[in-house]
Amino acid sequence: MNLLTVIVLLPLAGFLLNGLLGGRLGRTFVSVVGCGLPILAFLATIKAVTILQTAGPDAALLEVAYRWASFGDQGFDVAFYFDRLTAVMTLIITGVGSLIHVYSTGYMKDDPGYARYFAYLNLFLFFMLTLVLGRSLLVCFVGWEGVGLASYLLIGFWFEDPAKAAAGKKAFITNRVGDAGFLLGLFLLYWALGTLNMDEINAAFAGPVAPAVSASLVGLLLFIGATGKSAQIPLHVWLPDAMAGPTPVSALIHAATMVTAGVYLVARLHGIYEHAPEASQIVAVIGVLTAFFAATIALVQTDIKKVLAYSTVSQLGLMFLALGVGAYGVAVFHVYTHAFFKACLFLGAGSVIHALGGEQDIRRMGGLWRRIPITFGTFAVATAAIAGIPPLAGFFSKDEILWFALASEHGGSPFLWVLGSTASLLTSFYMFRLLWLTFLTPSRMSHDTEHHVHESPFSMTGVLVVLALLSAIGGFFQLPHFLEPLLPMPAVSESLEHYEHSFVFVAVAVAFLGLATAAFMYRGGLARGEALAARFPRLHRLLDGKYYVDELYQAVLYRPLHWLSDRVFLGLGDRLLIDGSLHGLAAITRRASGRLSRIENGQLQWYVAMAVIGVVGCLVWVWRNG
Amino acid sequence: MTIDQLLVYFFGACALLGGVLMLVARHPMRVALALISCMLSLAGIYAMLGVHVVAVFQVLIYVGAVMVFMVYVIMLLDVRDPSFLRRYGHLLVPAVVLGALLAGALGVSAIRVGAPAIQPGTGPAPSYLVQPFSVEFLREYWLHFELTSVLLVAAVVAAIAIIRSGRRSDG
Amino acid sequence: MADTQLLLGLSFALFALGLVGVMVRRNALVMLMCMELMLNAVILALVTFSLETATLSGAVLVFLIFVVAAAEIAIAIPIVLQLSRQRSSLDVEGYDRLKG
Repeated sequence: MNLLTVIVLLPLAGFLLNGLLGGRLGRTFVSVVGCGLPILAFLATIKAVTILQTAGPDAALLEVAYRWASFGDQGFDVAFYFDRLTAVMTLIITGVGSLIHVYSTGYMKDDPGYARYFAYLNLFLFFMLTLVLGRSLLVCFVGWEGVGLASYLLIGFWFEDPAKAAAGKKAFITNRVGDAGFLLGLFLLYWALGTLNMDEINAAFAGPVAPAVSASLVGLLLFIGATGKSAQIPLHVWLPDAMAGPTPVSALIHAATMVTAGVYLVARLHGIYEHAPEASQIVAVIGVLTAFFAATIALVQTDIKKVLAYSTVSQLGLMFLALGVGAYGVAVFHVYTHAFFKACLFLGAGSVIHALGGEQDIRRMGGLWRRIPITFGTFAVATAAIAGIPPLAGFFSKDEILWFALASEHGGSPFLWVLGSTASLLTSFYMFRLLWLTFLTPSRMSHDTEHHVHESPFSMTGVLVVLALLSAIGGFFQLPHFLEPLLPMPAVSESLEHYEHSFVFVAVAVAFLGLATAAFMYRGGLARGEALAARFPRLHRLLDGKYYVDELYQAVLYRPLHWLSDRVFLGLGDRLLIDGSLHGLAAITRRASGRLSRIENGQLQWYVAMAVIGVVGCLVWVWRNG
Repeated sequence: MTIDQLLVYFFGACALLGGVLMLVARHPMRVALALISCMLSLAGIYAMLGVHVVAVFQVLIYVGAVMVFMVYVIMLLDVRDPSFLRRYGHLLVPAVVLGALLAGALGVSAIRVGAPAIQPGTGPAPSYLVQPFSVEFLREYWLHFELTSVLLVAAVVAAIAIIRSGRRSDG
Repeated sequence: MADTQLLLGLSFALFALGLVGVMVRRNALVMLMCMELMLNAVILALVTFSLETATLSGAVLVFLIFVVAAAEIAIAIPIVLQLSRQRSSLDVEGYDRLKG
């Protein structure tokens, strides 16, 4: 029964076919292969889920594909593991992934790199599936690195533009910094436990004998890897720049799937984090700080994709907040709902950009609700979902996160709840700001753009409708309860247990407050917003400059490293030491040979004298030694 | 001390004197003459020792052919060049020291006590008179004799080659 | 018969004299003649040994040396002639084209 291996390999086949033959066999071939294979993978996943359901709540399917390396009696296998958590992730990846592939056939229709695009997209799916289906942390890491690679290739897809290529590099390198932490955690786990299989790791930490390594240390190291991949502070700087890639890429990779890999990792290794209160606390604090600060930056962004990018960072922060207080199932629930509405938002933004012929600045949009109604409708639904308006999907997941942030026995505190709720308020505000400025205000478009506006083709709008529907009704499926056999909910402090419903009302009120404020501020256009910005110029500049984190890294990290590489390693190490020693050796040889060659002066009598010395020496030696 | 022994000592002294004169004389013709006298003294020693064949051929070939050739060449060339004015090269002192060392080493190795003695051969003592020597020579060592003729052919060819190349370079 | 050792000593002395002559004298022809002196010293030693061991092989070797000496002088003189023509002198200190 190789079902799991088939699920993983189908996108790989797509990559190979489109990569090697796509350029020659035309767009139709590329579209059919590029979309069909992920859809097949989705169907295969559904089949695997049905098999899993018959096997019980905490069952798992296990397939060992092959033995990767063996040394002595130990070794590493490539094995795939399918339990309920993996099932959820795989369904999201293949399902939303297939939808985005279909969307891309419309969006990238006129791009000359069509085949290359689908090849890379399928490659990404292959690696992402390896990541979530892998049983061993090593296989997971292969997928981890692979999605980083695919992300680099896709962000820098239009690589002729050096700025876009640089964005790809920035993403990959920032990921790599996080990966150092991941690897250290991996080494410690293998040294302490002798295995990298994630189910065995969880069992070891939950078992009677405490492992030789501190759970908090490993948890922290693995979380550093997660900050790189999921764009948390301090490694969040690559995600906004990653908007240089095509919009469907932003939807798939930087909204729905790749950036949730960090969340998946922590949720999967919940066994470690349940026994690591310090590490969990750090996860929660960093998560909520990221959520808050990213939301503040999104308030002043003027590029439609940048708003969504910071929104993603902020929502990821909320997911880590949930993980930090022990509500692993709730975090995965938010991954699930976030995939729907964020993909819908990004694809809607793509539709807007497509309709406006490339315009991305919201200051030059407006009045589009009548011109592109389907895009507007779906975008509005998704915006309401992310703001947390009931009964849409985002409301359910976000509400649970905030509740556990306050009430969980595993680290919940009012501080976390306050910051989280403030972040939610800001989220609601800036998302509705985006909606108003893009669609509902009077038009600020340039004359040519206005004539160009047209609704997107069905391949794009159809996907938008599906995703909007999912954003609307997806919340009714109680994912945390579905995952409870695997990821138990944390205990809730008793004093607060009765107040659960009141806090729900507070959350809903916060969402509507954001809506109302945004409508008030931006109803007529940019005027009120700009007046407010003029009143607080320094704050506005700080937020607009993204808290100057990039500049800080440039000064503190990049410049000293560059100096070190250039002056010390190149100038001293390479030129002086290595080249110098080689040249020195050559010079010594040359000089020595010059001096030695004086023996051969061409004069016969000198040679004869040398020979006689030798003969006399031989004679004396023979005489001495008999 | 018989007259034979005295003659041998005399001839030996002449040979030595000839050798020393070779080193000291300035004009190459005088050097040649000193060498001739040395060779003749050596021939005398061989004759006194009873090795007539070698004595005769020493005079015939060595003095009569080799040294005559040498003398012709000296006469043909202009010998008054820098080597005439300054006889000795810059290795004079080291060469003398080395020569003394060599002679000393050789002498010590030959004369020291406990040196393996020369074993006289078995069989009848050979005669070094011309006729019996020739018979023995060509009976036992005919191969060596033929090989020397090969060597002489090679020498003739080489001499012709040198003359030819010399003529070509002269143009 | 004369003392073997005396004859051998004479042979070594003549050999050493010839060697010193080769190393010391600057005229090319004189160098050649000193080499002849060395050969003669060897002949004397060979004859002495032949008499000592009462075999013929020493004397036979002497004949070979005669042949070699003749061949050598027949070749060496023309070579020296060529050399001296190139350098216009018989001074061996000027023959250093093979310096390296």
